[in-house]
Amino acid sequence: MDPSSSQPAIETAGLTKRFGERTALDGIDLQVPRGCAFGFLGPNGAGKTTIIRTLLGLTHASAGTMHLLGHPVPAERAQALQRVGAIVEEPRFHMHLTGRENLRIVSAVRGPETWDRIDPALARVGLSERAGDKVKSYSMGMRQRLGVARCLLADPLLLILDEPTNGLDPAGIQEFREMIRAMVEQEGRTVFISSHLLDEVEKTCDAAAIVDRGKIVTQGAIADLAAGGGARHELIVGVDDQDRALGLLNASELVAEARPDDEGIRVVLSGEPQTAAQINAALVGAGVGVTRLEPVRHSLEQRFLQVTSRLDADLVPEAVKA
Amino acid sequence: MNPAIAIRMVGADFLKLRKKRGTLIWAFVLVLAPVLIFFIVKAVQHSSSPAEHSPAGGISGYTDAMRVLAVFFGPLAAIMIGTDGGAGDLAAGVFRDLVVTGRSRVALFGSRVPAALGLCWLVVLAGYALTLVGTYALASGTPTPGGALVINGLLFTLFSTGIVCVVAVGFSSLVGSRPAALTVLIGWQLIASRILENIESLGSSRKLILSQAVAHFSPISLNDGGHGPRGGATVTMSTGTAVIVALGWIVVFLALGAWRTRTMDA
Repeated sequence: MDPSSSQPAIETAGLTKRFGERTALDGIDLQVPRGCAFGFLGPNGAGKTTIIRTLLGLTHASAGTMHLLGHPVPAERAQALQRVGAIVEEPRFHMHLTGRENLRIVSAVRGPETWDRIDPALARVGLSERAGDKVKSYSMGMRQRLGVARCLLADPLLLILDEPTNGLDPAGIQEFREMIRAMVEQEGRTVFISSHLLDEVEKTCDAAAIVDRGKIVTQGAIADLAAGGGARHELIVGVDDQDRALGLLNASELVAEARPDDEGIRVVLSGEPQTAAQINAALVGAGVGVTRLEPVRHSLEQRFLQVTSRLDADLVPEAVKA
Repeated sequence: MNPAIAIRMVGADFLKLRKKRGTLIWAFVLVLAPVLIFFIVKAVQHSSSPAEHSPAGGISGYTDAMRVLAVFFGPLAAIMIGTDGGAGDLAAGVFRDLVVTGRSRVALFGSRVPAALGLCWLVVLAGYALTLVGTYALASGTPTPGGALVINGLLFTLFSTGIVCVVAVGFSSLVGSRPAALTVLIGWQLIASRILENIESLGSSRKLILSQAVAHFSPISLNDGGHGPRGGATVTMSTGTAVIVALGWIVVFLALGAWRTRTMDA
């Protein structure tokens, strides 16, 4: 067994990339575990594509270390990339060639182990019937799928996809999402998706990192990220006697915190979400009428806006000073 | 690198070029049309006034047609194919997709050269075949080239076009833009080198001009009415100097192309 197979799919430490005076990546420490779909979230210009280009050796890092599938990069770049498939920015092809011919070109470069994978890869992405057509006649969605087929030639342990749903219609996005999930769940591949589409990452990925201005702001499982670090469970409780309910809730050991807000009482549970039923019973038992009991669904979007706006706020004093 | 992979990579690069219909058509037009027009015009002239105009074919016709093919238009076709071979991946935006396979960038550059040469020579061979057809079919009883001259002429045509094609692959890989490389190389081939050949004050430094070194190996006289190749002045040089100059052009441009391919941000 390959000793590197237990190591993270992607691991960087202090990864820095400067373009002259501008720092595009500022000491990135990233760990992408194997066998998951990992989102790399950030606003436009945050450094998402730069980290992908640096990982793949399309541009040189200014400082820091990188490992792909356990192999140090760039020292063992060729070995590392043997089992990596990547689409950087939009997938590009020789437009005057057919889909199959484009794959033949990449297969020739990759080596003999890939020469028999062209037709299975085309079939996997549903392009067998159009494989003999010139790529210039393909829709954007078909080009994205052909890009994935090109990645599959490597039988990749790690797929790196840069903004993969750009230009796709809703049906195409759904189809693409299902394909990614199948690759992770059925084929055991790791998929690293860079995107500025929060909803996309939330629906497709198991874990994510949020990057802004070349720095990782936070990373972890999607649910943890959305909850703001630890996995907090919250309820909105509507009652007929708010003061009394607040007293009861704050006295309960099932509740970490209870405070009034616009929608009723916001309750942070100290345990698992199932304790909501016990809280309901306690309130009703104490004679408080419960009109609403609704779990709060944290969205990644809220968290994203929170952490990126925090960065904006952090910058304000410096701007004022300047 | 495994030879089987190298052959596949060259085949893949050949496929890209072969399927580029625009480049291929223009390359064929460049090598076939001038030779065809030359023989037609000469044949019409000869038939209208046999005393004044010699037959279109024969050794005289062969020599003139060779000037048209090997010195003027063949190298232009070589530039078209070579620049496409050197910058085609970059222009299509697929260079980075090849880089992320992990294959060495120098190997990616290296496979472009034989692929471009292969297609260039295929096109030039068609032009040479037409030259031979015209030479023999329109000889009208005048002496025709012997087997040795035919073979030497073929080798010279392949050499004069091949060297330009290799330089074009290297230069376009260096520049990274096919239109820019095409403009510069055609400008050099048709205008700049011709002007430099005629500046006598440059003296023996004119030996460094590629077309002068190439002309040294021609089996036919490229002098035309007291002028050297392509109407420029003739710069005499030894075979050793000609070999060194020709090799120098190849080595320098291949090295520059490989260096740029290896170091550029993809």
